[in-house]
Amino acid sequence: METLMAILIGGLFASGIYLMLRRSIVKLAIGLVLLSQSANLTIFTVAGLTRGNPPLVPEGESMPLVPYADPLPQALVLTAIVIGFGVLAFTLVLVKRVYQTVGTDDMDEMRSTDGFKD
Amino acid sequence: MSHDLLVALPIVIPLVTGVIALLFYEQRETQRIISAIGAAALLIAGIALLLEVRAEGILVSDMGGWPAPFGIPFVADLLSAVLVMMTGLIAFTVALYSLATMDPRRESFGFYPLFHILLMGIAGSFLTGDMFNLFVWFEVMLIASFVLIALGGERAQLEGAIKYVALNLISSAILLAAIGLLYGVAGTLNMADLGMKLQDVDEPWLVTTIGMLFLVSFGIKAAIFPMFFWLPASYHTPPIAVTALVAALLSKVGVYALIRAFTLIFTQETGYTHQILLVVAGLTMVTGVLGAVAQYEVRKLLSFHIISQIGYMLVGLAILSPLALAGSIFYIVHNMVTKTNLFLISGAAYRLQGTYELKQLGSLYRYHPYISALFFVSAMALAGMPPFSGFFAKLTLVRGSLEVEHYIIVAVALFTSVLTLFSMTKIWTEGYWTPSEAEENDELPPGVNSWPGWNSQMLAMFVPIIILATLSVGMGIFAQPVISLLIETAEQLLEPSLYIEAVIGDES
Amino acid sequence: MGILVAVLSGFLVALAAPWLTRWFGDRVGWVIALLPLSITIYLLTFIPDLADGGSVRYSIEWIPALNINLSFHVDGLGLVFALLISGIGTLIMLYGGGYLQGHHQLGRFYLYILMFMASMLGVVLADNIITFFVFFELTSLTSYLLIGFDHNASKSRYSARQALLVTGIGGQFLLVGLILLAIAGGGWEFSVLVDQADVIQDHALYVPIMFLILGGAFTKSAQVPFHFWLPGAMAAPTPVSAYLHSATMVKAGVYLMARINPTIGGTDLWQFVLVTFGAATMLLGAYLAVQRTDLKQLLAYTTVSSLGTLTLLIGIGTDVALKAAMVFLVVHSLYKGALFMVAGTIDHETGTRDIRVLGGLRKLMPITSIGAAVAALSMAGIPPLFGFIGKELVYEAVLDLDTFAIIIAVVAVVSNILMVVVAGITGIQPFIGEEKETPKHAHEAPASLYIGPLVLGTLSLVVGAIPALIDTSIMEPAVSAVAGQPVEVTLYIWHGVNAMLIMSIITVAVGVVVFMGRQQLRSVTNQTNLLAALGPEAIYAHLLAGLDWLSRTQTKIIQNGYLRFYFLTIIVVLVVSAIYPLMAYGNIQLAGDLSDVRIYEWVVVAIVLMSAIMAVRAQSRLAAVAALGIVGYGVATIYILYGAPDLAMTQILVETLTVILFVLVLYRLPQFATLSERGSRIRDAIIAGTGGLLMTLLVLVVSNERFYDSISQFHAEESYPSAFGRNVVNVILVDFRAIDTFGEIIVLAVAGIGVYALLRLRLWEDRSEEK
Repeated sequence: METLMAILIGGLFASGIYLMLRRSIVKLAIGLVLLSQSANLTIFTVAGLTRGNPPLVPEGESMPLVPYADPLPQALVLTAIVIGFGVLAFTLVLVKRVYQTVGTDDMDEMRSTDGFKD
Repeated sequence: MSHDLLVALPIVIPLVTGVIALLFYEQRETQRIISAIGAAALLIAGIALLLEVRAEGILVSDMGGWPAPFGIPFVADLLSAVLVMMTGLIAFTVALYSLATMDPRRESFGFYPLFHILLMGIAGSFLTGDMFNLFVWFEVMLIASFVLIALGGERAQLEGAIKYVALNLISSAILLAAIGLLYGVAGTLNMADLGMKLQDVDEPWLVTTIGMLFLVSFGIKAAIFPMFFWLPASYHTPPIAVTALVAALLSKVGVYALIRAFTLIFTQETGYTHQILLVVAGLTMVTGVLGAVAQYEVRKLLSFHIISQIGYMLVGLAILSPLALAGSIFYIVHNMVTKTNLFLISGAAYRLQGTYELKQLGSLYRYHPYISALFFVSAMALAGMPPFSGFFAKLTLVRGSLEVEHYIIVAVALFTSVLTLFSMTKIWTEGYWTPSEAEENDELPPGVNSWPGWNSQMLAMFVPIIILATLSVGMGIFAQPVISLLIETAEQLLEPSLYIEAVIGDES
Repeated sequence: MGILVAVLSGFLVALAAPWLTRWFGDRVGWVIALLPLSITIYLLTFIPDLADGGSVRYSIEWIPALNINLSFHVDGLGLVFALLISGIGTLIMLYGGGYLQGHHQLGRFYLYILMFMASMLGVVLADNIITFFVFFELTSLTSYLLIGFDHNASKSRYSARQALLVTGIGGQFLLVGLILLAIAGGGWEFSVLVDQADVIQDHALYVPIMFLILGGAFTKSAQVPFHFWLPGAMAAPTPVSAYLHSATMVKAGVYLMARINPTIGGTDLWQFVLVTFGAATMLLGAYLAVQRTDLKQLLAYTTVSSLGTLTLLIGIGTDVALKAAMVFLVVHSLYKGALFMVAGTIDHETGTRDIRVLGGLRKLMPITSIGAAVAALSMAGIPPLFGFIGKELVYEAVLDLDTFAIIIAVVAVVSNILMVVVAGITGIQPFIGEEKETPKHAHEAPASLYIGPLVLGTLSLVVGAIPALIDTSIMEPAVSAVAGQPVEVTLYIWHGVNAMLIMSIITVAVGVVVFMGRQQLRSVTNQTNLLAALGPEAIYAHLLAGLDWLSRTQTKIIQNGYLRFYFLTIIVVLVVSAIYPLMAYGNIQLAGDLSDVRIYEWVVVAIVLMSAIMAVRAQSRLAAVAALGIVGYGVATIYILYGAPDLAMTQILVETLTVILFVLVLYRLPQFATLSERGSRIRDAIIAGTGGLLMTLLVLVVSNERFYDSISQFHAEESYPSAFGRNVVNVILVDFRAIDTFGEIIVLAVAGIGVYALLRLRLWEDRSEEK
């Protein structure tokens, strides 16, 4: 199972990177989302995958029935997803504002703050 | 005061300040007062924390009462305490300065809450003892800085912000993946626990591989070579108070993370990892200063210098001897003071002459002797001239490196030092000594005779500058207490068992 | 204690200088001169202590963690230098007040020059090598501010920076050299290291140490090829030139060589290097001098030459040579200081320094002319001036050399001949002959300007006639300190007829003849000016240009503004840095095999992958966003499959919001265009693919290796009993790791503030509308 996930993670990562290397800021944003999906899946996968047994404590027990899915990575990914969403919301509005100010979504046109004036 | 509270204060204080400021969203005057008080309180808390850590050793506070490594602890060792105190100092000085210089429109859209939440994120990063929690605090810090840099919506800000945001988001993604991998290998997220468990693993190279991911991720944040692009692209775009704040603090959080990671956790193959760090440090120093030499706009010039100085901060980590490491930490401290001051002073010059371009500034030495003196002191401190702080930081680092026969990096460091002097004298020559166009036409340059006296605005602008300049001189002439503290700090870092024991207790 | 006060008092008075200037107005020079005067008198009281090889020490702790103490050691060498610094300093303070009278920045002048004096005293009296270095660098720093005093002139700014950079680079070498010296010798004080001379000279690092320290000394004392900053420094006001760039600061390098001689000197290498560079400098300085027509340039180049002489003498290293060095040190300071002051006075009164238009000033400036004449005679080495004794000793030392004595002797004679010529040009020529037309009508200078040359001239005469006044009291301890052993010093004018006397007579005679034909000399030497195009000054300028080019090119390449370039670099760095340790680990295998993967899992993964590819290749925005949504929901399905229901719910929620956000934002944005070319797309695909491959490998590897069990066992066990919750993930989020959730909420809040501010606060657009 982990092997399959590994391939998926790699694929998402590659797709995300490829999109971020494009010139459009919108593609950049989409790529970022894919990238974070990839990172989240990484956390979720490497601790070991357990099919179908969520870490819930049943009635009458004091801990979940073994084998249970590792709860810690789930909590981490959950946090990461929400944080990622907050950041993404800001980023998307920023993208919109940049487009409105600069007039294009081509990143190659946005080089005025680097380098130096000759 | 209980240790738990003391360790948590540097996080709680800016939180409370930020929240209260947010509650007074529309009332700028009230927010200004709250901000200043909050920043002062943070400084005092930082000093108190440092004193206590020095006296009692590493302080730990387990959040929620859950013992490490199951909960999240806040850990204050000497390095964290020193950095938290410095954060308080910078917070206080820049908070005062922003009272004088921040435009009212930005103040009305949440500048002050953002300011303090940024501080909270920084303090949290310095104090947390859990890897994932570090990620969370990084994100708090980053989102606050994203908004601060973009706040105002100037075109340059937006362009700079998009690059800043994008590059930091990649760093966060890599960090997340790296944390995941680390957990997969070690089963824990607690830094002390990781340090303990990874000390003698069967597969050191695997851990080192994961360490490389951390190096890249933290390295982007620390603006090392060759991943520092976001810094010169964005730092010079927002108002100068924002620039001063982020310049002093953000990259240092990255450096702190690198130091923590590579003294506590990733110590398996130091031959490889620290060799890389050494080469990176050297390249960072040189590319940073060369970038500065090419600039004629003061803020961009100073931004490139930040990168160059980051290189010095890594040398001690790469060499891992107490004196060299102490020298690097001295660089962190000295840099926070001096670099902030240089930005603040250039902001004052901007007030007078309306520009940051060296070709247009001029005659500052002739008509503004006090500002010139303050600038000269700070600039020479940055360039490592005695008897200022920068010289003793350089001396400590150089001596530490020479004692363990690392000659090449010393040559690189001193070469960079000369070039730093070169570019500082460029600012001095072009901005201060050269007559401005107005003077060449026999008119007075702008800003002369415009001194309104010591009203509250001028006080707010100049008191921070004077404080920081005094520290630049004071940390040089009275370097003994600083250096002895930092040698203690370095020795504590090089003995990870102290940290592990404090957090987890004697379970090994 | 008094020593510390003597050194540091200059700094304190310096800080008060601007106010003193304001209060005392035109008289301020007399007031400020009181400080160096009192220091001089105080120093003179040390003379009895130094008889018979004694010395005075004082030390307080400064930075013990780095072995730095404020330790001072007054021995003969230090005392000679200190007397010159404070004595000439007294005259200069006076002179400066007169020369710059009424200047609006006179206060700053005194601030810098007092700081300089204090630093210089620190240099020559410090025993701790780092303290020495601190003062050494401070002299460079104050010199920078003083050379650039007339900051509106670009020549001043350029020369000041040039001096600072050249001496600064030398300073860095010196710092390393000193630290290595301390490591090799096991001590941080000059007086301690002297005893370790044998250990140091046998040490593996001896040669680098020697060259590094000499790097500092040679740059400071303007030895060839680092001499070019000194003539440039003449852009400074003349009081500065008279003080720093003839009598004191440039001699700091000589002081260093003298001080370090008993520790690292005396070896063959030392002798060879110093004699070679010293002799070359001596000759070249004199040769370049005679081409000049500006009084200060003439004096500057001859100073270079004299510094070469001093280097040469220290290099020769015999007792005679060291005796000659100390005597010549004093001789030169006395006459050069005087001549510089005279040059400044002439400039001040006539408005020019060009010797071609100066003449007959003896009638207009009689007192000044006396001082000038005496100094010139000393420079030419004519008895009974002190310069004669100095010259004789130089010749005696040169003849004492084992090898190459003849060559060096010839070089010495030629240089001294040219010295005679310059002595005539600067000290005699402007005053004899007929009066010429000068920009300002000259008259005698005020007292503050002629006292200096008079006093120095008198000293040259008196000490020259009665050398016993200073030979055992001041000279002997100095020479002993440099030699590292006691040396007897007695000075006479008349030694009988010997080789030195003959050489002196030849020197003066030929010198006078050449002086008569000085214009032809100038035109002959001017022929060789093409050397200037290749000389060190040109190299410096080329280096600056090269630096400029390098920095711009680097910035254009690295900080080029293309965000995708930045990303590329990061990914490449990531892959490259992780590959080596991963290969070193080596154990890459598939985690589990693919055989126990169920059909639906294959399907879900396939859907997600295909959607990702669709997102990449989509032509329309909405298609891309839709694909993104499918990816998100697919991942949520995966979460469900592997026992993470809470996670899946959050993922679905967030994904839905994300898609909605995208659609809102994309409204009004243009459609995707294919902007990049094929080549870059392939390159990007390869890089991206490599990155993805790395991630896959890492996940595979880590899934295989688990060194420790997860701590989440604790969370699972304690979730219900201690934290009273059945949903472990929930409990982790709100209890065990509540701080994480806390941070997460803050992030959302800040994002909210940010979004609102971005939408409403549009300073750029407000301003564009105003226009």
